[in-house]
This record gives sequence, structure tokens and C-alpha cells, in this order.
Amino acid sequence: MRTAIAIEGTYMPMGHTATAEAGSGGLTATEHRLANGLRVVLSEDHLTPVAAVCLWYDVGSRHEVEGRTGLAHLFEHLMFQGSAQVKGNGHFELVQGAGGSLNGTTSFERTNYFETMPAHQLELALWLEADRMGSLLAALDDESMENQRDVVKNERRQRYDNVPYGTAFEKLTALAYPEGHPYHHTPIGSMADLDAATLEDARAFFRTYYAPGNAVLSVVGDIDPRQTLAWIEKYFGSIEAHDGKPEPRDGALPDVIGEQLREVVEEEVPARALMAAYRLPEDGTRAGDAADLALTVLGGGESSRLYNRLVRRDRTAVAAGFGLLRLAGAPSLGWLDVKASGDVEVPVIEAAIDEELARFAEEGPTAEEMERAQAQLEREWLDRLGTVAGRADELCRFAVLFGDPQLALTAVQRVLEVTPEEVQEVAKARLRPDNRAVLVYEPTPAADHAQDADAAQDADAAATDETEETAK
Amino acid sequence: MTELATMDFHPQPQAGEARPWAFPAPERGALDNGLTVLRCHRPGQQVVAVEVLLDAPLDAEPDGLDGVATIMARAFSEGTDKHSAEEFAAELERAGATLDAHADHPGVRLSLEVPASRLAKGLGLLADALRAPAFADSEVERLVGNRLDEIPHELANPSRRAAKELSKELFPATARVSRPRQGTEDTVRAVDAAAVRAFYDRHVRPATATAVVVGDLTGIDLDELLGETLGAWTGSPAKPRPVPPVTADDTGRVIIVDRPGAVQTQLLIGRIGPDRHDRVWPAQVLGTYCLGGTLTSRLDRVLREEKGYTYGVRSFGQVLRSAPDGSGAAMLAISGSVDTPNTGPALDDLFTVLRKLAAGGLTDAERDVAVQNLVGVAPLKYETAAAVASTLADQVEQHLPDDYQATLYQQLAATGTVEATAAVVNAFPVDRLVTVLVGDAAQIKEPVEALGIGQVTVVPAE
Repeated sequence: MRTAIAIEGTYMPMGHTATAEAGSGGLTATEHRLANGLRVVLSEDHLTPVAAVCLWYDVGSRHEVEGRTGLAHLFEHLMFQGSAQVKGNGHFELVQGAGGSLNGTTSFERTNYFETMPAHQLELALWLEADRMGSLLAALDDESMENQRDVVKNERRQRYDNVPYGTAFEKLTALAYPEGHPYHHTPIGSMADLDAATLEDARAFFRTYYAPGNAVLSVVGDIDPRQTLAWIEKYFGSIEAHDGKPEPRDGALPDVIGEQLREVVEEEVPARALMAAYRLPEDGTRAGDAADLALTVLGGGESSRLYNRLVRRDRTAVAAGFGLLRLAGAPSLGWLDVKASGDVEVPVIEAAIDEELARFAEEGPTAEEMERAQAQLEREWLDRLGTVAGRADELCRFAVLFGDPQLALTAVQRVLEVTPEEVQEVAKARLRPDNRAVLVYEPTPAADHAQDADAAQDADAAATDETEETAK
Repeated sequence: MTELATMDFHPQPQAGEARPWAFPAPERGALDNGLTVLRCHRPGQQVVAVEVLLDAPLDAEPDGLDGVATIMARAFSEGTDKHSAEEFAAELERAGATLDAHADHPGVRLSLEVPASRLAKGLGLLADALRAPAFADSEVERLVGNRLDEIPHELANPSRRAAKELSKELFPATARVSRPRQGTEDTVRAVDAAAVRAFYDRHVRPATATAVVVGDLTGIDLDELLGETLGAWTGSPAKPRPVPPVTADDTGRVIIVDRPGAVQTQLLIGRIGPDRHDRVWPAQVLGTYCLGGTLTSRLDRVLREEKGYTYGVRSFGQVLRSAPDGSGAAMLAISGSVDTPNTGPALDDLFTVLRKLAAGGLTDAERDVAVQNLVGVAPLKYETAAAVASTLADQVEQHLPDDYQATLYQQLAATGTVEATAAVVNAFPVDRLVTVLVGDAAQIKEPVEALGIGQVTVVPAE
């Protein structure tokens, strides 16, 4: 923390206003720390009468132990089942009834909870978050546990088991991180482990990880920082500090896998697919930003090298692209996803990809490709920071994972500083066949898929906007 | 058994004083070529959103060429008189821009998002695409092949498969709304560059198009920019196309789309009802929210939070097509997925919720919370330029006045419990709902038949 200030007893404003730095778009954030260890980040923006509250707990699926995969996410659901002063679904009822929106998500490295409120309802959101941080176990019972276990199992079915290629992410992650590695399993967990989780597991999980010192609270928007800090002190200040958190298992791995890992899945899917995960530098490093740019040049959008080659020229793929799973506590993953066109065989696609990656490693990006990739990533950052909720989440992310929320405001600047040489270097070192896990889908000859389907924004209002686990 | 917490408790805080907010009012004008322009300055929104609406609805597609509007929409970004397809994509990305285009029943829509600093560049590319699209044979052929490849992916997706079946069931086969928006394998295969060009020549012109521009326009001379870009687009004048009426057969019945081995059943239960031109719309929005707008609404209260049958079930109203005379319609539906063994019990509970609602009505407390949410979230919902632009474009597309959304909030706040109850009960009458289930017929058919919610028919998924 750059300006971690302890606040004890009676409230005293000791906010430190950082000066706006180049590339931060004039945004600033101040940092504070309560006596119980809760870190607080505030950022004012009076353009719209809204305020975002975001709370990151430094716990994710990487902290889970064998036999209890999915517990962090199941627990996240339990956080919406009431606490000492909040009955049942009160969290949802009160926030939505105040004109706010809310959710929680769980990833490998963190669990976040957030409310976006009309500015005059900010205090309610703080009161609610404090109540569950301090008193969840006063309300947690078997009934919620059993109910949410069923809800989460249905979430798993809906998002993974009942859709084509739905378990690809899980399979590829398990290949890319070795057995026993904290990132070997994904946040949704297995059905068997979800069944095995007990109420006592949930309680122990709360006592271990849901401590003020293991969290960062950010509040962004149309706020009065003095008043906001006073409310935070009032509601969170008396929550007892506790520090029983074990160090997460080490996620460090060698820079490259050293061999090509491979799994062929024969399943009822609509078309052949080639997916791969490349081991890449950790998030928060300059090499990580260079890798992001490399993946953007190679597989971001519709002017990328892979799209031009596979979809436009060879016409061997319906869709082809790269994504980046950014991780701070283990190597990140460069995520390749190609769906084959018609009867095209996977080796044809794979050979073209290898050729393009090798050429890129050899030549590096052109000046124009760098310009395009940087412009794309810049717009993505403007989008992220363009809403109070997005800004609050990024401030928490940089505070929890990298110890300094101010880094969120200058992230785009760092992306723009990366050189073509650095992009080439990371491509050469990492985007190689011996540094990837490959997943190939071969459709089972169940039926001849030749009909039509409706699309556009049909009648699918599927409820993916409530408490969800996010795996990416 | 629970345990006591050690912290100081405080009473639930009261709300502070609400700060004023209103849905932004756009400024309306027109360019010399007849293009209607709506603009709206949103301070702080560095990514500008531009929406262009073309009066090229799906019902204008020639017989046997369903999908030609979709291929045309996609071909807009595949080259112009200045750039090849690859160059055009590269230039867009160089401007940090994204350009999406899609065809739906009311017309074709293009959505550009670009940082304000590069708006000139982005608008220039958008104008080129509209003014002088290349529609090269090879590119159109590629888009057709690509579209054919997408079809099996959509068929394999349970929610999309359900939507397709519901449209087919509800609407007469002769109506365009009964058929997939993006065409079938047979019709898409028949599309070529000549067909795309003919559709463009006939239906795309500035005189019947509207552009909506929203974002932080500080220091931008938008008139000059528009004059140099979209202003250079020319075309003959034309009258707006008449809107065909939408009719539907909502006789209560069940269609199971068989997916042997499916671990869940996707359900989509629907019919059609009034659109935003109808005075009942605000009450329908309110009642539909109380029924299935969120996790604490009636459906999820039982199906999710009591029974754990689902990750979530939602009810909603979505405008299909509107006409200036108010003869349009909206799809009213309930959607979600439930685990296979509990499909019968879940549907039973769902229909019981509807019957109880019809018998007992909504409570004042439910109505109050719904109003507070629907009205209160507006400033959050419309924080970004893209959200504002999209709603302004919807209003134009649905022949509504520019202040429609602003007025809707006042109407919602003035809607009472009785009106909301009547609207939602009329929207979802238990004997006039078409139920589509995508799931394992061998396991769900019998329990569903036992519910008595209509005749059950099983159709193959493929």
C-alpha cells in the first residue's frame, strides 16, 4: 500500500489524495486502513448520482483443499442467505428495493461482492456488507446450505454440463496445471465435492478467510469521502480482526511446460474444435502485458493473424481467436479456441496455427499491428474504467493482487509502453508447441446436424446475472 | 445451530436525499441527405456509441432468401470502395473501434463504439460501409459458408433451440416472424452477392435511416464531422415500409424437443402481447418483474430459493415489432433451465405460481419494491453511452417519441398494485401459454403430461 493509514477509535479523516497521473484520465483514488486491517480505497466522480461498492476477499478456488473443490463459490452463494440483522434474501431485497444492483463472483484468486447504488443509498450497501462480514455465521444454517448446494449444482449443469464444449475450460485447466497444483481445478468444482461439502466446512471457511484483514473495500462514484469513510468506520470498524489464514499453496511453475500435453474428447458436439492453453507470464508484469498484446495481434478481433488465415483465407474455421486468462499467483493462460468449418480435419488447422505462431515469433509484430493491438486494449480499458462499478472492481483487483490500487489508474499507460521487441520476445519464448496443452473435440456420429436455428437476441433471458461463479 | 457474532450492530440506515437524474433528452435533426440524427452529450463517456438504423426489416427479404439481411449486415464490414475486407477490419481496430451489425425483424442495425479521440476515423469507416460497401463475390460467398457453419452450433444450444421452436409454434408459417431470423440452411445457401446487392439497393438509403450519437462530445464539432462522413451518403427518397400485423396461436400446449441424455430441461413458455404503444405496458413491466424479474420474484422464490430446481427462471417482455399505429406485439415469456428429474415438479410449481398470482394478486409491498428497483436503477443502467444510444435507437425503431423512456419512469411510479396484477395475469394466462421444453423426452414426457397444461408433442432436436 502506498498510503496505508491506520484509523483507530474516533473517526479522523486522513485520506491521501493522489495526484492525477498521466494516462489515468484524471481519475484519482485515496487509500486508508481500519485498525482491524480492512483496506479501503475511495474514488470520487460526480458525473452521475451513483456509487459503486466493491469488496474483494483474498480467497478463491486456489485456496480450496482436495475433496472440497467448489467450496469458495458455494460459500459465495451462502453470503446472500442472510446474516445477523439481514433476514433470508434480505441482501437482494434491500439493495434492489433501493434501486441498486448487486452480485458476487468467485474466481481462482478472489471472491468479490459488489453493489451499485443510487448515490443516496450508499450507506445501506455498506451496512449490508459489514453485517455479513461480521456476522454471517449467526444466520448460516442447514436449510440454506442444502438449498444453495442444489442451486449451484444446477448452475453447473446449465453453464457447463448441458452445453456443447461446456466442460472444455475445466478439461484444459486440468491439463495445463499439474495434478495437485492449486489451479488444477476450476471454481465451479466437481459434483462429488459439492455433494460432500458440509455446513462445518462452510463455517470453517468463513472463519479462515472472511476477515477484515483479508479484504479490500472500494467505493467509487458520487460520494463524500469524509462521510463515506466515517460510515465505513462505523459499520466495519468493530468487526474483530482475525488472522488464521494459511498461505495458499505455491502456484509457481517453470516458464514453459516442456512438452505438448494433449487430450482428445469424443462427444456429441456440433463440430470439430481445437482448443489450447499456452503457459504465459504472470499478471501484473511487463511481460504479461506484452503477452496480452501478442495474443491480440495473433487472435484478437477480425483483423488478427489467425482470423485472417483460418477464417478469411483458408476458410477452415468458423471462428478463431485467442483470449488471456490473467493470473497473478500462477502462470497465466493464453487461450486458443478454433471451431472447424464443415468437414475440415484438426491437423490441417493445427499446422496452419503452428506456422502462423512460428512466423510471428520469427518476425515480431509490424508497427501497424502494434498500433491496432494497443488501440484495442486501450478501448477495453476505457470501457472498464468508464463505469463506477468497473473502476471499483479494478481498484480492488490491483490492491488485492498487487498491493497498490493506484496501478489500476495507470494500467493502460503501461500497455502503451510495451515495445514490439518485448512482444516478439514473449511470443518466441512462450507461444511454442512444447508449451501448450491441447484439447481436440471429435464429434460422435450421433446425428447429422443439418438444419437451421434461430439466433439474434431471442427469448433467452437466462438468469446469469445473479450470484455467479466466473471462471474467466 | 448458529453462532453469535462479536461486532457492534447498528440499525439499518435510512436513505439520504435523492439526487436528481433524468433519462437524457436527445437533440433531433437531419442531414441534407435526409438522414435523421439524434445526438446526446454525456460528459465523461470517453467511448462514443453510434447506432445506425436501416429500414430493412426481415419481412422485406425476398421469398426463399431468409438470411439475406443478415449476410448484408455482416458484409458491411467486409470491404468498401476504399478498403479491402482485411484492410477495413484493420482500420477499424486501428481506431480502437468495434463495429457490429445485425438484422432483426424491425430492421438492420449497425453499432459503432470508438474512443472520442478517434470518432472522426470511426465515423468515416461507418459511412464508407453504408455508402459504398464492396459486397465482393468472394466475401459474400465466405460469409454464406460461415453462416452455414454456425447453424449446427445454434441448434446444439438448448436456449436457442427452444427459441426457434417457440417462434415456429406461435406464428403462422407464412409470417416471417415464425422463421429463424438468420435464415435456414436452404435459404442461406441461396444467398449470393447479387442478392445482397439487390437487397441493399432496394432498402438501404439515408432518407429512411437514423443515426444516434452518444458520448462525451466536448470539443467535437459533430455537425462538421457528420457532414463529412454520413453526409456523403446518397440515395433516393422513399416512404417507410408498412408493418405487417403479428398474430399468434397461443392455445395452451407443450412441445418437447428431444435431447436424449440431457441433464437439464431448458424451458421457454410464451405467447404474444401488447408492445410499448399500449397503455398497459408500464403495468405489464411492473407485474412481469414481480413474477420473474429477479431472484426474489415469485418464480425464483419457489423454484430456486425454496426448491433449488434451477439456477434461475426469468419472465420478460421483449418487443418483436412495433408499428406507428400501435398494432405491434411483444413476446411475453418465462425462461430458465431445471434439472431433468425435477422437470415435472418444477413445471407444476411454476404453473402453481401463475395460478396463485391470478387468484390472489400482487401485494402492495411487492409492487413498491418493484417500482423502487425499476425506477431507481435507471441512473446505473444508463451510465454508459452505449446503453443510452441503444435505448434511443430502440425508441426510433419502435416508432416511439424521443422522450418515451423518460416518461415511462413517471408512469411506472404512478402504476398501482391492482393495475400491475391485472397486466401480469393477462400477460400470462395459464391456459394460453405455449410451453417448449428442450430435454430428455424419455424422462420428462410422462410427468409433464400428468400436469394437464396442454397436449404434449415430442419433436426431434435435429
